[in-house]
Amino acid sequence: MLPKFASVIAKTREEALSWLSSLENPRIIAGGTDLMVRMRAGKQYSRVIDVAGVPELLTMTETDGRLSVGSAMTHARLSTSEPIIRNARSLAMACGLVGSPQIRNMGTIGGNLANASPAADSIPPLLIHDAVLVLESKETRRRVPLEEVIVAPYVTSIDRKELLGSVEINPLRGYREGYRRVAKRATWAISRLGVAFAIREDKGRFTDVKLAIGSCTPMPFRPKKVEDLLKGAEKNEAIITEAIRMALEEIKLISGIRPSYAYKLPVLKGILEEVLRG
Amino acid sequence: MKTISFVLNGKKTSIEVDDNETLLGALRERLGITSVKEGCGIGECGTCTVLVDDEPHYSCLTLASKANGRDIKTVEYLSSSGVLHPLQEAFIKSGAVQCGYCTPGMLLCAYSLLLKNADPDARDIKEAISGNLCRCTGYIQIEEAIKNAAEICKCDR
Repeated sequence: MLPKFASVIAKTREEALSWLSSLENPRIIAGGTDLMVRMRAGKQYSRVIDVAGVPELLTMTETDGRLSVGSAMTHARLSTSEPIIRNARSLAMACGLVGSPQIRNMGTIGGNLANASPAADSIPPLLIHDAVLVLESKETRRRVPLEEVIVAPYVTSIDRKELLGSVEINPLRGYREGYRRVAKRATWAISRLGVAFAIREDKGRFTDVKLAIGSCTPMPFRPKKVEDLLKGAEKNEAIITEAIRMALEEIKLISGIRPSYAYKLPVLKGILEEVLRG
Repeated sequence: MKTISFVLNGKKTSIEVDDNETLLGALRERLGITSVKEGCGIGECGTCTVLVDDEPHYSCLTLASKANGRDIKTVEYLSSSGVLHPLQEAFIKSGAVQCGYCTPGMLLCAYSLLLKNADPDARDIKEAISGNLCRCTGYIQIEEAIKNAAEICKCDR
């Protein structure tokens, strides 16, 4: 049995924003795959606003070369969406690996971001696509880069009165792009390691490299120094070895030495080797 | 309380539900559909699976109010007047039912798969039931049953 709470179902974005503004300490629910579990564990949320059916949050649009993804779109939809597969292959792959078919049919991209798990599969792909979150309240509207929204594991800078409306991403075309992950089982498992990559090469040189690593540090991150090192560099084993050394060093710098690293870092090294060699 | 209207197993249904009520609770307690079961209650076992607009969802993590205006199917939908669906026949024939607790959820996931993919390979079948746990059969018989049922359903077309 769930704790008692009152719920309202928003039919439009306007309605959601006005409830967010008027209700005291509101909580947004979409797919419910995180919130319902927490409520069942005894967490009290007295007022819940269901935004899963808000049409504005279920659409995808393309403007000025940026792709805007509605926050209530499910992982199942994103993993099979043609524009996502074409413009953000790593995101489609990651969304297709989240939880189980049922979780993917329920859980949303907005929920995955608002939950801000260090192991969230959607976050590394969104980082390499320079994702920007559109946060709205009744009075304000701000656009914040994903890196700035997640401030600690499971903690974001999204205000209680704000609605995550959409996520804007930079399409990447002409890149070798993908998402690799390691988990205890092939499906229905939390990622122990996730790597999103997008690499462009020309005549034996890396012309652009974007990498994001999840489940290794408190928040998924982009090893920007490694990207800078590789950009424009001749593709050879020496530079790949150096790039991986730098990436592993950066992880240890962020998190210190963790017991899991005895396993994770050698596996990450292997994944990065495969990804960079291509 | 909220009044919700939805199609349950092909029939228009209207009920009152509490704000904090799950779809699982509403189906079992208000509508007597006890094929939908609570296993883990946190979306890990799949025995509460229902089809929402023909896609599998965990009813234990679904607020009952979310069913409003949707098409909800439980395993009761698969058979009519005592005639079992080919999937159900195949489950019996392959020994895919032991304690039976996971069976309704498995059948619904298999049914949803066959709606989208009439000719699933072993990978498709494993993927389709990957959100459902069975602690008796070891899955081999379930996969075999779904494969066999797909063959029969193809012949029926």
